[in-house]
Amino acid sequence: MFLAQGYDFQPGFVFDHLPALAHGLLRTLAISAIGMAGALVVGLVLGALSALRVPVVRQVIRCYVEVFRNTPLLVQIFFLYFALPDIGLQLSGFTVGWLSLLLWGGAYTVENFRAGFEAVEHGYVEACRALGFSRLSAFRQTNVPLGWRIALPSVTNILISVFKNSSFMIAISYPELTETAIGIVAVSFRVFELFAAIGIVYLGLVWLMSLGTQAVERRFAIPGGH
Amino acid sequence: MPLWVGPVASYVAQGLWTTLLLALVSIVASVLLGTVLGTLLTLPQLWVRAVVRAYVEIWRGLPIIITLFFIFFVLPVLGIEVDTFLAAAIGLALWGSANVAEVVRGAVQSVPRGQSEAAAALGFPWQRRMRHVILPQATRRALPPLVGLVVNLTQQTSLAAVIGLLDVLEASQRSIERLTLAGGETHAVPILGAVLVVFFVICLPLTILSRRLERVLQ
Repeated sequence: MFLAQGYDFQPGFVFDHLPALAHGLLRTLAISAIGMAGALVVGLVLGALSALRVPVVRQVIRCYVEVFRNTPLLVQIFFLYFALPDIGLQLSGFTVGWLSLLLWGGAYTVENFRAGFEAVEHGYVEACRALGFSRLSAFRQTNVPLGWRIALPSVTNILISVFKNSSFMIAISYPELTETAIGIVAVSFRVFELFAAIGIVYLGLVWLMSLGTQAVERRFAIPGGH
Repeated sequence: MPLWVGPVASYVAQGLWTTLLLALVSIVASVLLGTVLGTLLTLPQLWVRAVVRAYVEIWRGLPIIITLFFIFFVLPVLGIEVDTFLAAAIGLALWGSANVAEVVRGAVQSVPRGQSEAAAALGFPWQRRMRHVILPQATRRALPPLVGLVVNLTQQTSLAAVIGLLDVLEASQRSIERLTLAGGETHAVPILGAVLVVFFVICLPLTILSRRLERVLQ
């Protein structure tokens, strides 16, 4: 294999750089956590407003969703980091990190939550209305508690993507895990050691997250489907 | 129109061609390879499924930018001259084919079992069962998510800029740098804004198509 060409695999090398890598991982986790939590809140609130068909608000949300879903996250990051200073808005790498993830992830979770809320069987809503609930409280009592559970699997997929996409911040030289590791590779050429290390970290965390979300999905699955 | 617009536009347009070519190559490679892998995932042989499953889980689970950098740094170690276009195409195809494989597996397995059994009872061997009975039905289910993946891959081509490919994003970035050096003004808002618009114009019709296919085919 390729290692036979004189590549001398030294796993110990990674440990020399452990403090820097750990620091990078912390930054990755920080921007991912804020981005994921923000995308969840944005998705719930805007998804509900969208499903309630509030005029004008619904169209504005639609525009936000289409713009952020149909342009690359990387270009969005570049715009926030390199173009906004021209109009007097200088954002730090950390801010661009979580903000871009929040805006991008939010555009997807809005759609998921909206679809979830709208998938709730209409009979429930009608029953509520027949009992004299207002439109808003009927929505609160039926669409919200059932709809978010319908949306859950697709939302958790997006949240995992938000975590993986935190690696895009290498493009603006924000020293998260990927940027830190590639920086070390570029000066040491220890390709396999470092890629094995960060590969295991990312795959391990993605795997842990999907285990966690599967447990949550099972816990909150609607008995007997919906 | 200001003087800088002409040269920047033609420079960025050249980059756009590279982007479109990269998108085309990686989409074709992903669909071809992914269809084969996805079909293999439906075979009864456990070891075949295990090998393909490992491939799918690794390249789907890793952040795509790490895959791109990995290929970029590994090619020279393997004795292949570094070419950013090739590295980007391989990296995108690894990610894309793993995703296509999952879509194809899901679509094939969603075809009711009785269809395959009926064809088997009529004496169709596996290949012809796949070709004449399973795949035509699976295609209908796979098409909407596949179009979605095409949109996704087109957007992900922008990552090639990070390993230095002179694509639409890298060309705009270099233009901004040159303008800054020359006149002090970056013009980053109109240039990066134009890149956003270009991607939007390419991706929106495909997104709408995917949504419409979902409604029509299911």
